[in-house]
Amino acid sequence: MLYRVLDKKDYKDFVSGLIAGYKVIGPKKRNGMVHDFVTVKSFDEIDVNYKRTTLPPAKKILFPSTEELVRYNLDKKIDITPVVNAEEIILFGINAWDLNGMNFLDRLFTTDFADDNYIAKRQNLIVIGMDTEPAETNFALQMGAEYAKTGFDLFMTELSDKYFIRVATPKGAELLKKYAKINDDAVSEADFAEYENVMENYRKKFNLKVEVDSFYDCFEAKYSNKQLWEKISDKCFSCGSCNLVCPTCFCFNVTDDMKLDFKNGIKSREWDSCMIPDYGLVAGGHNFRPNRANRLKQRYRCKLKTFVDKFGTYSCVGCGRCVEACLAKINIYEDINTIKEEVSI
Amino acid sequence: MVMEMTKSSKHGSLYAPDIATITDVKTLTPTEKQFTLQFDDDEKKKKWSFLPGQFVELTVFGIGEAPFSIPSSPNEIGAFELCIRNIGSVSGALHRLEKGAKVGIRGPFGNGIFPYEKMRGHNVVIIAGGLGMAPVRSLLKCILEDRKNYKDVTLIYGCVEPQSFLYKDEIAQLKKSGIIDVQLTVDRPDESWKESVGVCTNLIPGLKYNPEDTFIIVCGPPVMYKFVIIELEEKHYKPENIFLSLERRMECGVGKCNHCHIGDKLSCVDGPVFSLWEIKNLKEAI
Repeated sequence: MLYRVLDKKDYKDFVSGLIAGYKVIGPKKRNGMVHDFVTVKSFDEIDVNYKRTTLPPAKKILFPSTEELVRYNLDKKIDITPVVNAEEIILFGINAWDLNGMNFLDRLFTTDFADDNYIAKRQNLIVIGMDTEPAETNFALQMGAEYAKTGFDLFMTELSDKYFIRVATPKGAELLKKYAKINDDAVSEADFAEYENVMENYRKKFNLKVEVDSFYDCFEAKYSNKQLWEKISDKCFSCGSCNLVCPTCFCFNVTDDMKLDFKNGIKSREWDSCMIPDYGLVAGGHNFRPNRANRLKQRYRCKLKTFVDKFGTYSCVGCGRCVEACLAKINIYEDINTIKEEVSI
Repeated sequence: MVMEMTKSSKHGSLYAPDIATITDVKTLTPTEKQFTLQFDDDEKKKKWSFLPGQFVELTVFGIGEAPFSIPSSPNEIGAFELCIRNIGSVSGALHRLEKGAKVGIRGPFGNGIFPYEKMRGHNVVIIAGGLGMAPVRSLLKCILEDRKNYKDVTLIYGCVEPQSFLYKDEIAQLKKSGIIDVQLTVDRPDESWKESVGVCTNLIPGLKYNPEDTFIIVCGPPVMYKFVIIELEEKHYKPENIFLSLERRMECGVGKCNHCHIGDKLSCVDGPVFSLWEIKNLKEAI
């Protein structure tokens, strides 16, 4: 990791340079209402003062809602062509917890079996992160995801008159060299001191109390408490909104669609949701996840326990999107606390 | 960040199947057919192998893909069999295909297999219910081809009706030969039925094997496991020596799509065969 600083007055030129040289996807305010990560054509379109985007930016690019995986042609000789093309893109302005969400997807799609459809896109994604303010329902700090250690090429934190930049890759260094008016001097102790100060204040903005450390065992203690889980899931519409907005939800279906010529077809994947009733349905009619309580319980296990064992991290980054998206106002951090309380009584 | 990838799948996509041809179709029961398959690619045909308990993902183009366990012997190279019940969209479409048709195959998948190596030198009890015979037949074949290296072997095989038995002739012959002990049972007997009546579970108390020296294999419909396990534990068989094939909706086969999770395990990569010990605390497994 290298450390650099960029004067605020040179920030616009740097970003404009990136936009001139690359396809840049960055945060843009749309309809005066919500922020969304879209392709930006000029510096003025970018607005990094966002608290939350509806969809997580990295997932939109790397693991889109539908994605062609394989094309086939059933002529005399059957042809099967993997779709693993990807263009080089800069993802600009992603925040720490969404970056950690991407790091989780990276880990998942490269563990055991390497998923080339994902990897091709990831290898061509240049990531420039930026610290942003947390929304009210954000509990990234409590999940240990408020700070990104890896996954980016550059990570920028705003100080009073400059940006403190962490440079993690040669690609990041190259971009700085090419597009930023920056000298190669090491960052001063005063800059580090200001950065530390800014980060300390930033961390103070995460105010929710979430008893996540105890979930690992408390979950097991209450696993068979049918009443509790029915109470927690009682309002659930089984709509799957929580899954759609989650930066780490990765369940998908693989579909096979043949064109009307009965020769050409595609296999594609599309997001699935562990909250909807046919998620665990198999041929013959048996459903391994037949009710809401069972499905929500499994979602919490997947987010807060499964990957503690597998990867050593939670697969929830605390972005709070599911809390906002839920029509029934089911709230993951409140439920974490409820489970802890139930055990403590 | 430009990721440094050391691993890469052979095809460029984990979801790209290899083409195989159906070389034979045999009707086993009114609802099940046996398909023999061969890869079109010669190299693949020669090199492809699997272990007992593993499964493949079979594509019927234009319809979709579904997981099927492999009932043939792992020692047969060049072709393999699948035993498929006509029950879903892919299996239904497959039942309409004839000899010569092309399908896509990915796999074999599954790291949890029937521990045929560990079982050598010990007694083996195989308990199969209905279509559960398909996955365990691969293990059964494996044992029969290496019979001298195993002690006593019992097959308990239960079905709803006498006509539902898979591999009828093969099993009748096996029973007659006495190479292994075969016990059959049905829920709904007809007039000619001379074997046991009732569920598989009823035959467990009659087992005379020493728990210290016996491996148990269980495969059947989801409802069967709970009751079989109660009986097995009653007889003090050791959980680390009881192996269960727990099939779920293994949609991708490669541990990505997450449909087949059982608690924090995935049936496709951690299973589909688990020891009872491994899943003891996964209350939803059984």
